[in-house]
Amino acid sequence: MLVGIAIGFVVGILPGLGGPTTLALMLPFIFKMTPVEAFAFLLGMAAVTNTTGDITSILFGIPGEPTTASTIVDGHPMAKNGEAGRALGAAIMSSLFGAVFGAFVLALTIPVVRPLVLTFGSPEFFMLALLGITFVAALSGQALLKGLVAGGLGLWFATIGLDPVSGIQRYTFGQLFLWDGIGLVPVTIGFFAIPEVIDLAVQGSSIAKLDVGRLGGVWQGVRDTFHHWLLVLRCSAIGTFIAIIPGMGAATTQWLAYAHAVQSSPDKERFGRGAVEGVLGPGAANNSTLGGSLVTTVAFGVPASVTMAILMGAFLIQGLVPGPGMLMPAPKGHLAVTFSMVWTIVVSNIITVAMCFLFLRQLVKITQIRGALLIPFILMLIAVGAFAEKNVFADVLVVLVFGALGWVMARLGWPRPAFLLGLVLGPLAENKLFLSTDNYGLGWLVRPGVLVLLAVIVVGLLAPFVSARRRARSPAAAAVEREARRQRELRGFRLDGTTAFSLLIVILFAWALWQSRSFGVRAGLFPWAVGIPGLALAIAQLARDLTGRRAAPAPETAGESTPDVPPGVAARRSVEICAWIAGFWVAIWLLGFSLATLLMTLLYLKVAARERWPLSILLCVSGSAFVYGLFEKALGVPFPSGQLFVWLGMEAGL
Amino acid sequence: MRRWRGRSARWVGAAVIGLVIVTGLVAAAQEPFYKGKTVRIVVGFTAGGGFDTYSRTIARHMTRHIPGNPTIIVENMPGAGSRISANYLYKIAKPDGLTIGHFIGGVLLGQVLGQQGIEFDARKFEYIGAPVNEHPVCALTKASGITSVEKWMAAGTPVKMGGVSPGSSNPDNVTRAIKASLGLPIQIVTGYKGTAEIRLAAEGGEVAGACWGWGSLQATWRKGLDAGEVQVVLQVAPKPHRELPNVPLAINFAKTEEARRLLEAAIHNDSVLVRTYTLPPGTPKDRVQILRKAFQETLRDPALLAEAEKAKLEIDPVAGEEIERTVAGLFKLDPAMIAKLRTILLE
Repeated sequence: MLVGIAIGFVVGILPGLGGPTTLALMLPFIFKMTPVEAFAFLLGMAAVTNTTGDITSILFGIPGEPTTASTIVDGHPMAKNGEAGRALGAAIMSSLFGAVFGAFVLALTIPVVRPLVLTFGSPEFFMLALLGITFVAALSGQALLKGLVAGGLGLWFATIGLDPVSGIQRYTFGQLFLWDGIGLVPVTIGFFAIPEVIDLAVQGSSIAKLDVGRLGGVWQGVRDTFHHWLLVLRCSAIGTFIAIIPGMGAATTQWLAYAHAVQSSPDKERFGRGAVEGVLGPGAANNSTLGGSLVTTVAFGVPASVTMAILMGAFLIQGLVPGPGMLMPAPKGHLAVTFSMVWTIVVSNIITVAMCFLFLRQLVKITQIRGALLIPFILMLIAVGAFAEKNVFADVLVVLVFGALGWVMARLGWPRPAFLLGLVLGPLAENKLFLSTDNYGLGWLVRPGVLVLLAVIVVGLLAPFVSARRRARSPAAAAVEREARRQRELRGFRLDGTTAFSLLIVILFAWALWQSRSFGVRAGLFPWAVGIPGLALAIAQLARDLTGRRAAPAPETAGESTPDVPPGVAARRSVEICAWIAGFWVAIWLLGFSLATLLMTLLYLKVAARERWPLSILLCVSGSAFVYGLFEKALGVPFPSGQLFVWLGMEAGL
Repeated sequence: MRRWRGRSARWVGAAVIGLVIVTGLVAAAQEPFYKGKTVRIVVGFTAGGGFDTYSRTIARHMTRHIPGNPTIIVENMPGAGSRISANYLYKIAKPDGLTIGHFIGGVLLGQVLGQQGIEFDARKFEYIGAPVNEHPVCALTKASGITSVEKWMAAGTPVKMGGVSPGSSNPDNVTRAIKASLGLPIQIVTGYKGTAEIRLAAEGGEVAGACWGWGSLQATWRKGLDAGEVQVVLQVAPKPHRELPNVPLAINFAKTEEARRLLEAAIHNDSVLVRTYTLPPGTPKDRVQILRKAFQETLRDPALLAEAEKAKLEIDPVAGEEIERTVAGLFKLDPAMIAKLRTILLE
């Protein structure tokens, strides 16, 4: 178990090297173990990746795991405000809380969960997916329309690739790498990490812009966890219970917990600028998910996620059959193994938390390092992380495209979480919508469960308006509203970047619908179901932008304004860093990963950051050695050879 | 004398050096190709599934049976019912005997039928072999009320059977083929992610059951079978499985010669191919032979058999030559039969 934890610790911190991949790599080692040992090893590893992934999200704004992306939204601004210690303390403590909660729910609910889940059919699962997206979209408050469009856009991007039922190519332009769709990992990394790198370069400072007197504030974060214990408990429950549904992993539950944290707060404006509740919610939820998804795996033998699919393999290797037998005491069943899993989750999380606290102070110092020194290393992690998930070079390019998209969306107040959740839930939603219609025709629409969930969605969408109206009744708010209205009326008809982006989305949806006319019912059902309302909502948004009836920017942009850098300098630095990022990518393509890291780090440190020679050389050599030693040699990541060497005939191309 | 001795010493020295060089060359020539190399098995499905589990198990043991003992690693390249990995093996992977593909055999028939998304020519692949000859059976829940083929035939409304995607060897092809050839009342609900999800849907009452390999079914649905909540009512193979002596064979219910030929072409032949291990076209013949031999030896290795027994993996090896013959046979199907299969399996 300790070995598992140690491996999981590293895997969690390094972006792109996901828990599932590592589990698959480690599977061979369990053959010689007893069942209890095997699950201690595997679960120990799986249990900690979410906790340590939070660390990367908070410190660098890069998701350590796709399941820790939501921690960035508030955790990284906290780090920028000099509260990295507090954010880490809160994330780690709430993770422990969530994990323990999930583990105990696993122990307690297995006997009752079976009939409950079996009453849910495909139509109800489809409605649950919709519910998730609308909840997160509704977070955008006044920008609800933008949230829904972004969610729809995410759902549409999820349809790229071979259609899962008939195998028709959808929006692939004949590109082989697009057949399997757009990967969650490169999108998540691009969405959050690239805008952060640009921001870091534009600011020209360290990650933590404010220097706090004492490092850390770790205990403050721990205290926050107990102060908001009810929220942490509720988010743990969200994580555990949503995860029981097959297909809803931590990539989904974290966002739902985040949505809940925002919705339940009386003071929503603080979110996105470093609200500790925004760290506590996802921190608890992504860890409690493990217990929840184990419920489905253990009780039904149906893996709820990739991690669980691999654990299923482990079950079979160990000669155990998942199902009700896991809940009966020996000799008829394997209750002892099930309980050992519960204890493994609890114990490995406690050990992780202890280890985290030991290293926390050193970790926090990273945020005080000059940004210029960090940028090449962050770029290197981004590139390696994007590549290592599927070993496809095109994913490194996907990062760039979504980096640009994420940057624009952040600037213009479009909520990125809604898009991401659309992308995560897209395949599940498409699958369940198809199964519902294939099985019941249109009859599924009138099932009682579907109607109940529809009502919940409508209430969830209307709730922000109702509460906004209630607030508007207070005299102070009314004055603010009058001022805002006056501002809006002044604006009138506008054509600018904001309008152009909305127009782009309208064109994209229209084009997607036009393309999908030839797909046939099997492959076209979901693109139509997403595209038609998506187009309608996007046109409504375009109309709003054109007439100047603009909502205030969503909270997530607020933290990224750059008041301390003059606009001219900011623009110049933006262009420069974009050129550097592009250069880094070209170098990787030409020279391969290790050599490009060596060269570009040196160039960046000397030319852009004007560092001294000894420091530059030390850093670039150690960076390159890290990529080569850990990824290429120890982990055997098959990096492609540099194109230059292929041309020179020194190496064979892929 | 001294001079002669000096000269002779020089000759002897040269001879020794020459001998060393020649021996060295011979030794180098005899050094096995696979020594110090890494072999990749590219699996067309996600980690943790049946294809992945077979590959990882075989990978661990096969190295001992290849001269030079290469390292063997497994990579997953999921998507589109493993058509992505099949296309990768055909178009991108180098034919040097270091990349082995493992995708579902149904895509080979898919090429003959003109299925979308296939960019390979099955006749040009080199086939290593398969660890198991699939034995498809149809299992239905007791709650569905269908406990025998007779009851199934007599059902008033179509019985809902789970599927994954049209053209998938099983469950889809098997279910469609018995519907067409036996006239069983069936509504196939396709689009489930795999047999695990179908099992869940069957237990929740969304579908009545599904048809897939007995080896995998008996391992994953053990509890249901033991408790009598799930029953195997039909097997779709030329001969009964030794563990299922009393379950009727689909072929015996086929009323016409055409129906019999359809079952044979769509299912019986395909069963040999389902779990095929494949090499890219143009792989040197000697390396193909090395891997074929090593593969068969691995599947007889007691250490592997013990592990397979533990993981409930059925081992019933098919030789590469037999797969080659079966694939060639697919291309000899007469056009009328191909047209018929296309309507039945893909539309």
